[in-house]
Amino acid sequence: MTDSHLTRRTLLRYGAYGAGAAALAGTAASWDRLTGADIPGRDDDSLVVATLGPAYGPEAIRTLTDGFKELHPDIKLRINAVQAVDWSDFFAKILTQIAAGTAPDLVYVATEGVQLFAQRLGVALDKWVKRDAAELREYFADVHPSLVESMMYEGSLYQLPVEFNAADMYLNHQVLGRAGASFPAADWTRDDFTALLRDMKKSSGSQFTPYFWTNRLWGGVVPWLFANGTNLLSESKAPGGAWLWDDFYPAAERRGRGGGFRWTTPQATDARVEEAYDYLASLIQEDLCTRPEGGNGQNLVGVFSTGRVGVTPAGGFWAGGLHLAGMKATDYDVQYFPRWRTQRMQFGAAGYALLRTSKRQEEAWEFIKYAARKDTLMRLFKTNQTTPARRSMLTADRYRETGPNHWQVFYDTLDKFPDTGPIPAPPQVAEVEQVLLKHTGTALASRRAVAPALRRMQSDLEKAMERDV
Amino acid sequence: MTNTQIQAVRPRPATPAEVAPRPSARDRGSRLLAALFLAPTIVGIVVFTVVPIAGSIVLSLFHWNVIDDPSFAGAANYREVFGDSTVLVSFRNTLVFMVFAVALQLLIALVLALAVNGRMPVWLRSVFRSAFFFPLVLSAASISVVMKYLFNQDFGVVNWLLGLVGIAPVPWLTSENGAMTAVVLVYVWQQFGFSFLLFVGGLNNIPKEIHEAASLDGATGLRKHLTVTLPLLSPTLLVASVVGIINALQVFEQPYVLTNGGPGDSTRTVVMFIYESAFEQLRFGEASAVGVLLFVLIMAVTALQFRLSRRFVHYQ
Repeated sequence: MTDSHLTRRTLLRYGAYGAGAAALAGTAASWDRLTGADIPGRDDDSLVVATLGPAYGPEAIRTLTDGFKELHPDIKLRINAVQAVDWSDFFAKILTQIAAGTAPDLVYVATEGVQLFAQRLGVALDKWVKRDAAELREYFADVHPSLVESMMYEGSLYQLPVEFNAADMYLNHQVLGRAGASFPAADWTRDDFTALLRDMKKSSGSQFTPYFWTNRLWGGVVPWLFANGTNLLSESKAPGGAWLWDDFYPAAERRGRGGGFRWTTPQATDARVEEAYDYLASLIQEDLCTRPEGGNGQNLVGVFSTGRVGVTPAGGFWAGGLHLAGMKATDYDVQYFPRWRTQRMQFGAAGYALLRTSKRQEEAWEFIKYAARKDTLMRLFKTNQTTPARRSMLTADRYRETGPNHWQVFYDTLDKFPDTGPIPAPPQVAEVEQVLLKHTGTALASRRAVAPALRRMQSDLEKAMERDV
Repeated sequence: MTNTQIQAVRPRPATPAEVAPRPSARDRGSRLLAALFLAPTIVGIVVFTVVPIAGSIVLSLFHWNVIDDPSFAGAANYREVFGDSTVLVSFRNTLVFMVFAVALQLLIALVLALAVNGRMPVWLRSVFRSAFFFPLVLSAASISVVMKYLFNQDFGVVNWLLGLVGIAPVPWLTSENGAMTAVVLVYVWQQFGFSFLLFVGGLNNIPKEIHEAASLDGATGLRKHLTVTLPLLSPTLLVASVVGIINALQVFEQPYVLTNGGPGDSTRTVVMFIYESAFEQLRFGEASAVGVLLFVLIMAVTALQFRLSRRFVHYQ
């Protein structure tokens, strides 16, 4: 049997060990070492900018930081690249930082979050825009008013858009050739589109899907709703905004502009919404398109570039992605979304939102202006990983290596179709998006499932919109 | 009874020698040392388990959206939760998932443990043990991303392989039954290694003499396993099932990455609902209320298991 009691000698020995450990710890504590406070930007009065990690790699961050340092050597800057799979995941992480009391000063926010941030967290940029109007005139002259309007909320401007992506149609030339089809005209219709998918299907094997789409707010069902002249939520414009339009845009371009979009009453049971869903369900039934999947189309580049998919909606961001996947400029091309009742298209834009909690609002405004400069965007968007918000940046030279041949489509989606608008993203966007994805999944199980699923969607959207954020 | 008798049965005051001895310096040192060794664990449990549980219970009584200050809501969050059909569906999905996932996990782990415990070179046994345990050390999210490719209806390897033997493409992730099946399969593939290791350990603890005696009595093959091995393995089975059920009731990564809870709500689990309510919709009070209900459910199921174990678990 062992003695569980400590002898005096043992106790003394443990005491000596403890004293030794304490001495070592004390010595170590007295050395210069890294602590949490040494993390760049933490507690050192830096301006903290949160960006979506995957969109901003180390090189982009260095580019942003170095350029800003040259202009403003007196302002310390830290770019906090938050890793997230999509915008809703990104916003969740930003909100967690805010809850933890470590809110950044600026957050890179896409259309999905513009109104949520504007309503609850953001600071309107109006006073700075008015103050620095002379400096910003060149910027607004280069940026389509639809993009600017999508960053307004109830008459005030909350972000300067630096990039956007409209849902255009990418087509694989190899698949078109196999089907004996020619590249569609700019004014192609929904019926032309359907016929093209059928031709593609006939000429390809069983491992081929003519049309691939991803179930999400941007580029999912919504472009079809827009093309059919409807929307998930009724859309109107808030009053106000004249202070900006009158100062920066000519009369022709400011016509019909307001103080930002309002998405209010759910209309999932609208006949045109049902018609759009019914159309997609029929494509699925004919094996002409994939069933809606969750997620973000991670495998899409692979299946498109290898000719297992013929057509898919995507924005300018895909040019860089396809180039990286080994596609040549001549292997694919892009065309507008097909016309149905209208040819209104949808887009999402992004820019930096200034948080109310920021104690460095003047410095933050300097960063916002810096991030919207042409030279900054030229350095940042070298690889065509997105569509720059500045029209002058879309040139033949930019797309010579990556393609597509019809690169003008990206900006012409705004210029030639002025009613093209942002995806519906009210402050309750998280719940709206979840309801949309959920019921789209069940609606497209079969054509008979469409109407009941849309009724449930309507009911859930009504609840979501009634809820205060 | 006389006074004398009463006095006789009254306890007499204890003498100084009979009073419990005061702990010696050695005892006090020993207790202090024990307390010091236990302190990190206790502090860890308090900080990372007890305080968050208490915090969640308190938060479930408030409305809080992170941005504004919390406001007291009383039982409103619970009323909201009980009236929300998505919550009820999430609980149903979680229970269905738990039943299939744990049953399959235990069955596969037991069969493989029996196989590996049979006659086999030691090195090969080690290879199997490592191989079966390996998925458990991988990130569930990473595995799910890979599996999402494999189970893709149009381009996935699984359907391609099925096609080779003439089976039509299965809508693994885009039909209600297919999605739940895929989530269960991916989860079980990753998790069964833990139960497998427990069973291997449990089987090694069964004395060989008992098996030999059973053989002498004429028991062979399956009968021997049913009448000898399983009863003696029942304590290990209890542990494996308790841990398995607790983990399964908290499933999140696999359905979140593979199906995002769809199609519809068919694979939305309770923890997914909690995540979406709290971090996407900023309804931390409601999310906490669902968390409290899940906590109660897990406690109830575990208590039921231990109660039933009195009848089904045999300790040697």
